[in-house]
Amino acid sequence: MSALLIRGGRVVDPSEGLDALRDIRVSDGRISEIGEHLAARPGEAVVDATNCIVAPGFVDMHVHLREPGQTHKETIATGAAAAVAGGFTTVACMPNTEPALDSPTLLREIARRSDVAGLARVVPIAALTKGRKGEELAPYHKLAEAGAVAFSDDGTTVASPRILRNAAQYACDLPQPFISHCIDIDLHGAAVMHEGVHSARLGLDGSPGLAEDIVVARDLLIAHDTGKAWHIAHLSTAISLDLMRYARSRGVRASCEVTPHHLVLCDDRFDDYRADAKVAPPLREEHDAAALRAAVRSGDIDVFATDHAPHGLDEKAQLLSQAPVGFTGLEVALGAYAYALPDLSLDRFITMGALNPARLLGLDAGTLAIGAPADITIFAERPWTVDAKRFFSKGKNTPFDGMTLPRRVTTTIVAGAIAFHDGQIFPRTAIAR
Amino acid sequence: MAPRSLIDVDSLTHEELEAVLDRAQRFRSAAPARDLLAGVPVLNLFFEQSTRTATSFTLAEQRVGADIITFTPGASSLGKGETIADTALTLAGIGVRVIVVRHPESGFARRLADVFDGSVVNAGDGRHAHPTQALLDLLTLKTEYGRFAGLHVAIVGDIVNSRVARSNIVGMRALGIEITLVGPRTLLPESFGRAGVRIARDLDAVLPSLDAIMMLRIQRERTTAALLPALDDYTARYQLDATRAARLPAHAVIMHPGPYNRGIELTDDVLADPRSRYVQQVNNGVFVRMAVLDFLAGTRAA
Repeated sequence: MSALLIRGGRVVDPSEGLDALRDIRVSDGRISEIGEHLAARPGEAVVDATNCIVAPGFVDMHVHLREPGQTHKETIATGAAAAVAGGFTTVACMPNTEPALDSPTLLREIARRSDVAGLARVVPIAALTKGRKGEELAPYHKLAEAGAVAFSDDGTTVASPRILRNAAQYACDLPQPFISHCIDIDLHGAAVMHEGVHSARLGLDGSPGLAEDIVVARDLLIAHDTGKAWHIAHLSTAISLDLMRYARSRGVRASCEVTPHHLVLCDDRFDDYRADAKVAPPLREEHDAAALRAAVRSGDIDVFATDHAPHGLDEKAQLLSQAPVGFTGLEVALGAYAYALPDLSLDRFITMGALNPARLLGLDAGTLAIGAPADITIFAERPWTVDAKRFFSKGKNTPFDGMTLPRRVTTTIVAGAIAFHDGQIFPRTAIAR
Repeated sequence: MAPRSLIDVDSLTHEELEAVLDRAQRFRSAAPARDLLAGVPVLNLFFEQSTRTATSFTLAEQRVGADIITFTPGASSLGKGETIADTALTLAGIGVRVIVVRHPESGFARRLADVFDGSVVNAGDGRHAHPTQALLDLLTLKTEYGRFAGLHVAIVGDIVNSRVARSNIVGMRALGIEITLVGPRTLLPESFGRAGVRIARDLDAVLPSLDAIMMLRIQRERTTAALLPALDDYTARYQLDATRAARLPAHAVIMHPGPYNRGIELTDDVLADPRSRYVQQVNNGVFVRMAVLDFLAGTRAA
């Protein structure tokens, strides 16, 4: 296997406590040497990282790749292309496909298609209940053996606390966390946005923050009761943050993630009655976004995650009541995090984008330690303007379209091979696993 | 200049709002020539049942000489965004220049106006807006008082579900009317409070200072949706009956956008009260709609 030398960059690796100008040598798909002024060997490709930051490959633990079942929205291959274009070397795909990812066969098929695509590593999150119906437990041990990195019914909330508690008790000995999508459907009703002054003014059905908070509280209580490692997806309210802090103070093994859109955008984006910013949980109020940004700085939020949720433009052009929730996130994420938190240290930025999600999912990733898989993200403090039409994702819809973001991915390396560089993707025939 | 639309009262500048009301008042005192909109194809597109508004618009269109087309599709057809754009293109191609539209979803009129090469008049979209209703209410107040600034108006009842209330809040604020919204919190969340808009839970305390009171229709389904308990618990507190009407100043007027539920938001004797303006409101509706059509036709020609 060919070797690679990444030269001249500022290498920031929180796992090793490293932040210095270093060169990195990659061979056989792994980090083989880190040092100053390494000389290129014959046959070694050189990546010039001058004025760039070289970080362990970013991991997005919350994406929707729509395959199987809704491949007009996205596929493993287009999602993996969008991932490397956004600087992600590993993405964890949610099981709300058709059919849902609730069998070992389906999980192995995800892995196979990820290999065929040869871009980012796609690892599956398995359904928490059969068919994501919230009624029968999924076969956790078999799914874990087939590569599940977590269990979730994301997209819906397991309605029954009894079933969720049983699931947590049964799966307690497995390291894979449960991931909760927290929205009480009864309180949520037919909401298309957040409930507040804007929904009142516009005459639109709003989903109160309470609809999220009440389920976050419930699920953290179940985590407390069962001892199961628990992760709260796309946490979006100030009160849910307080609930997280309380749970941790009581020793609950709980973590949480925040999306780029909840950090940056608010519920004032519906005056045109278009569904471009319709998402679950909905964009909240400015005080919520401010609380989320503060919690990133303080460490109360563990992980950045995009909730990349591509849809067809025609689907998002429907009336607000009919249009699906979510939008594309992978290709704007790094820029959007930096836009939200211009003062955040690179150490914290990379911890939340690479190290912490890798640890939570038990992946051999998130580090540039010698011998680790050479999954590397190179980015620059270089402003760029989002043009959704040019996304690699099939989803061309994002409320960030047209915004200028301060940080841009230049190169993404997966298993020692360049997968994305200077606006182009380079699929491999097979990724070493 | 692109054709203008009336999506809500704030589609009009303050000056235009005053001008439209003046025009409506003129049309009421002397019928205009019947050829103001001669040859202009106007489509009445009602996705939702309407008797009063549809009839009122049709009469207004006849009186200004428009070519009238009426289409009443089901709410489910024409639902998709893609179809909105296609339909708008088709209608404009046929030659339709004005669409008067009612739809059960908030925002439909705005979405249609954004893709239609012509004028859209919102005849009611979901819970969002019903601007010609607000204009006719404002004309009723103008006729009564000759001014807006400093008037105190209460809107009582199911605010959260009312496009009439929303459009009146927009219009009345623009004209400097003091607004007090009255109702239980399930029908009137605190999020309605803003500059110029007070929220009250006690109707009796509000009555003596009012120049006008607008009672909104209470639908019986609000009890099954657990937004209200048994209706007599609601009426005990919020119904306008003879006793409460007696606490209104002698000069105050009683308004209702209709259709009313006798014995729920107000009682029979209040409807018969000489201060009740329901019939004048309905009558003003035709003139306001004539004035709106005339105004929009004028913006298109400009």
